[in-house]
Amino acid sequence: MTTMTDSKAWTKVEGLDPGQDMFPAVAKAGDKRVVIVDTGKALRGVELACPHLKAPMSKGIMMGAGSMIRCPKHNFIFRLSDGKGVNCVGLTLKVYEIRQAGDGMEILI
Amino acid sequence: MSDQKIRPATVQVLRGARVMDPGQGIDRVADVLVQDGKILDVGDNLAPPDAQVVDLRGDILTPGWIDNHVHTYGTLGFADPDSIGVWQGVTSFVDAGGPGIATMDEFMALMSGRTATHLYAGPYIRPIGIIGAQFTEGDIRSLNGFPIPAWLDFMDRHPGVIRYLKIAALSGYGSGPIKMGKGLAEVIGVPLYGHIGEFQMQPENPSAYELFRVCQEGDMIAHPYHNSGARIIDRSKRLRPEVADAKQRGVLFDIAFGSYNFSWEVAEAAFGQGLPPDIISSDLQQFNAIGPAYSLSHVMSMLLRLGMSLPDVIKAVTATPARALGLQDRAGSLRRGAPAEMTVCRVVEGDFEFVDTEGGMRSADRKIVPVMTFTGGARYDTDLTRCQNEDNWLLQIADDHVPDAAAGLSPAQLDFIERMRNALSGVAWAYNLDQLDLEKAHELRAVFDAVRAEAGLPLREALLALFCCFLDRPFTMQIGLFLLHLERDFLLGRLDDVLASARTSA
Repeated sequence: MTTMTDSKAWTKVEGLDPGQDMFPAVAKAGDKRVVIVDTGKALRGVELACPHLKAPMSKGIMMGAGSMIRCPKHNFIFRLSDGKGVNCVGLTLKVYEIRQAGDGMEILI
Repeated sequence: MSDQKIRPATVQVLRGARVMDPGQGIDRVADVLVQDGKILDVGDNLAPPDAQVVDLRGDILTPGWIDNHVHTYGTLGFADPDSIGVWQGVTSFVDAGGPGIATMDEFMALMSGRTATHLYAGPYIRPIGIIGAQFTEGDIRSLNGFPIPAWLDFMDRHPGVIRYLKIAALSGYGSGPIKMGKGLAEVIGVPLYGHIGEFQMQPENPSAYELFRVCQEGDMIAHPYHNSGARIIDRSKRLRPEVADAKQRGVLFDIAFGSYNFSWEVAEAAFGQGLPPDIISSDLQQFNAIGPAYSLSHVMSMLLRLGMSLPDVIKAVTATPARALGLQDRAGSLRRGAPAEMTVCRVVEGDFEFVDTEGGMRSADRKIVPVMTFTGGARYDTDLTRCQNEDNWLLQIADDHVPDAAAGLSPAQLDFIERMRNALSGVAWAYNLDQLDLEKAHELRAVFDAVRAEAGLPLREALLALFCCFLDRPFTMQIGLFLLHLERDFLLGRLDDVLASARTSA
């Protein structure tokens, strides 16, 4: 069911409609809830709540041609490649890789 | 868009506006005669033969707006501070805490005389200024150092720059930190400007209430309508007694809308108990220019919605802040002989929504919109959205390319960069948000100072040389903090890259 990679594991993404095309969208991965975003080139997962004050990243706004996401509450911005805070040095948003697996997708979490 | 900046003729008649100068009790349709940058007269049918006439019939003309609390410099500042100044109807603004006394020289080198909007400073009691890391701002240990001689020397050397001293109601320690701030404010002869609000997210932090007890007449309290712990109203929404007492003593309440500190619910309860603000300011910064603050006029419109009259709203951005800041000789009034600092605005009718910093929304049928700003002998036709340009508020380290500006560094600046590279290779640091090493920021600044002295480079040129290596846009930041923010290996590598490409092109 899952493949281990270091301490992370490829985990089935659940709770998304098959034809889902509205992102960011909340999904389930095992017992965790995550937010799936569309960078324009690929899908990517991020943690549910902003590391600043826990605002919902499902309402995040994509920026920089899909390379960054902006928290809707206080406009803190994170790079989707590695989660690094762009205008908030020292804060990091957890980001996860996503891959296609059969009809669905898996997230490295 | 410099085409919107217009240099007017020597003599001008601003014709037919509703002239509103609450400080002088003026509210009527009149002409304003301006000559050589000064107000010559406010009256009827003023028409010197050679005057240029600006038809303002249907508009409102007020003294130039003063934004008592903005962030132009440092970790919260903008690439183009005028975007929240003259381009939004504001002729004077105060940087609220960007620098501290250990960074006022950097503030002066980068900001003084560089904005069309008149810029004043309200430095933070913390020597380095605002850190921009919210969880650390409230820590009293971040106030490390209290250099009285440096404050006194600055006041002597640069009279009139510092208009208040900013302090926050920090976590715990009773009234201690606030009394230290009040003491220093008295020593340097400026009002105390106290921040309450989001640092008090810890429930019922009582030090916020100490601020109301310590402040005296003319001191200012920012963010009165915040909805974090230690609100100005109790659980039954009754105004706290120390808040009413402070109001009675003549302490001034400044909206300072910000990103965290304006709640419709608290504001409505306060208005219901006779506590409208004395001053309306925006607290515009990198994080709220794209909402929810947007502009001073947006915040003014929210006060209109709360039931303040238009003249009272105008007074709260003109006469009252002018008096609070000691600027009566140059701002906040249309009296004869005053500098022609003016804002032209309209009250537009429609269906509008105004959102507070918590997501609370109120609809309104009126909105204040500035259309022209007159200052420094020039006229600016406003552009409210200029500040929202991403390049203006998103401070981004160019980590995948050398900014173009680095190619323009002078030989003296390159010599300085090389010396900095060598000096910094002997210093170790790492940025840790949870245990912010402010001492290290001061140490990095000391290295910068020593190298600069050795290289004989003016402060401004040295600061810009370093910023050019990392920033595509002209943002500012306290240099010690800026260096601390950068990963050491990346920083040294980038300086090497800049030096290498300079050698190649030479």
